[in-house]
Amino acid sequence: MRMAVLPDGGSLLYGRGMRILLVEDTRDVGEAIRRRLETTGHVIDWETDGQAAADILDFTDYDLVILDVMLPGLDGFGILKRIRASRKTMPVLILTARSEVEDRVGALDLGADDYLVKPFDFRELEARVRVLLRRRGGDATNVIACGDLILDRQSRSVRVGNREIQLKRREITILEILASRPGRMFSKADLMDQLYGFDETVNSNAIELYVSRLRKKIEGARVRIITHRGIGYQMVPDDTA
Amino acid sequence: MIRHETSLFSRLALRVTLILSFGAALMISAAWYYGRSAANQTFDHLLLGAALQMAGSLSIEDGKLTASLPQSAFEMLGLAPEDRIFYRLIDTEGQTLTGYGDLAGYIDYTAARQKPVFLNDEYRGTPVRLVVVSRVLSDPPLSGWAYVLVAQTTAARSELTQEITGRAMLLVALMSALALAATILAVRYSLQPITALGEMISRRDPQDLTPLTLNAPKELRPFLGSINHFMERLDQRVVLLQRFIADAAHQIRTPLTALSAQIDMLDEREVSPAGLQSVERIRTRTNELSRLTGQLLSHAMVIHRASTVNLEKVDLVLIARQAYRTAIPITVNPDIVVSFEADQPQLWVAGDVVSLREAIVNLISNALCHGSVALLAVRVGVAEGRAQVEITDDGPGIPPEKWPLVVKRFMTTKASEGSTGLGFSIAVEVATAHGGEIGFREKLPDRCFSVLLTIPLWQEERD
Repeated sequence: MRMAVLPDGGSLLYGRGMRILLVEDTRDVGEAIRRRLETTGHVIDWETDGQAAADILDFTDYDLVILDVMLPGLDGFGILKRIRASRKTMPVLILTARSEVEDRVGALDLGADDYLVKPFDFRELEARVRVLLRRRGGDATNVIACGDLILDRQSRSVRVGNREIQLKRREITILEILASRPGRMFSKADLMDQLYGFDETVNSNAIELYVSRLRKKIEGARVRIITHRGIGYQMVPDDTA
Repeated sequence: MIRHETSLFSRLALRVTLILSFGAALMISAAWYYGRSAANQTFDHLLLGAALQMAGSLSIEDGKLTASLPQSAFEMLGLAPEDRIFYRLIDTEGQTLTGYGDLAGYIDYTAARQKPVFLNDEYRGTPVRLVVVSRVLSDPPLSGWAYVLVAQTTAARSELTQEITGRAMLLVALMSALALAATILAVRYSLQPITALGEMISRRDPQDLTPLTLNAPKELRPFLGSINHFMERLDQRVVLLQRFIADAAHQIRTPLTALSAQIDMLDEREVSPAGLQSVERIRTRTNELSRLTGQLLSHAMVIHRASTVNLEKVDLVLIARQAYRTAIPITVNPDIVVSFEADQPQLWVAGDVVSLREAIVNLISNALCHGSVALLAVRVGVAEGRAQVEITDDGPGIPPEKWPLVVKRFMTTKASEGSTGLGFSIAVEVATAHGGEIGFREKLPDRCFSVLLTIPLWQEERD
């Protein structure tokens, strides 16, 4: 598990090498999910029977459970109920092929953290898994406010005034770093360390790209990201600038 | 080919007219008959009077029968000035005493001994009315029966008959016209419920297969019952069909998921550059197919819910926010600025959470799949007293001339345009079920294209 220390002492987990339980009885689908998640460095236990999966969950903790709804033995909702009844907080992602949307709503009511409707895009599945794993790791519950820009670190959501903006993972991370210390200068290298860890080599142009996207997305906010050529980046609220 | 049936109205009108004409003909015949006998009676009295006067004027002088025809007898007959008079007096020997000797020479006068005899005859080519009266003579030298025959042409009688008949005809015609008019009015009035029923059916929304409620007269009730029964069966069939579509779409999902799993497992390093292009296309098409399958399901679902779920007090901001999070994948193109904005923290509407979310999700995905280049904005607010969800994208938009087509129910645009049509169809169904509509804001050089979902706000004083 790799960890980066944030300027304010919070931590970011990069969600690699996590233990994931996959309960899926369709061979093709299970295989594809396992292969995709394994390439990102996670450890996958794959069960095809609902009852067997529930029994395993009784004495094993996982970082994430991916549950199909239609299962032999015990169905996904049954397993989910059992997990929540035993007061385990591990995140659960539900995969459903059921036609009624009530199912999805029901899944959330039962305590699922997210759901995907079959057929889904496997890249989207990977992205959701990443979010769920990070949410579990990130203990930061505080809200960062800078000008009229509000960043909720729990829900990873960003608001400018009334407007909620959808940001990508790395854009949020950069915003989080800049907004946590308004006015402080962060060099490109600082940001790169936070984004990729210390031992990864990344093209430093990527930072410029992220910052330019970020700037476009928070346009209209009463804060600005100022570029100091050759030095780094700085977030400044308009009223103090 | 359906044979053209005459209208109920013309059927009834034709029959009533036939009966009325027949009745009128009968009455006119009767009027003519009575007119003629009345004329005959009147003029027969005069004729008889004249004949009796002539008979009275017979006297025996010097043992010979003589007649001095009284002027008054002719004056009496002069009341019919246009008619000519022929007479013949016959003595006891049966010889013509005076007058036209060839008048009714063939008849048997003796029948007139009891009472005067009237008959219709023809004299010199003209129809005449003839009377024969008798007189007994009992003078010793000349005893026996003498006869007087008086004939009169019939011009005055015909004239009187015609006059009486003519007046009667006028009355009959007037009555018939009144009866016909009354019939037409009555028929129109009694056919009114049929017209009302027809209008009710033709004004109906094709989606509405609930029974017709109409206060129909007793005679129409079986007909109304059949229509309602038919609609009920049609409705069941539609429901079955929708369930079938939903089931079929649902069953397609599992192999479809497996298919995309297989595509995902293709090791792209082992595929040739040309093959890679194919893989990417297969992936795109599979995603398209997935989206369409999902839309088919939600279409069937929102229609089903529209007829079964009651609208409740729900927060449109919350629903729209959930829809926004569902519709925007995490893997969305990072160059698109995606935002959500609510003018107020809560916005209460009368709605069905699931349907509304489905509608908004589809509108957002539509914008994302077919519109957005670098901008997608969702905004919830109040416009002109109604709740509005506005989805704006910086894509090419939909030209105004296509708007009416897009918002038609069960309307999908061209197949080449992908699943836009189905998505709109879902939104339109939901908007309609909520008493609202789908609208658009035109793309202008300085303004992006927007789709607007507008529904009524929650009214606190609802019952």
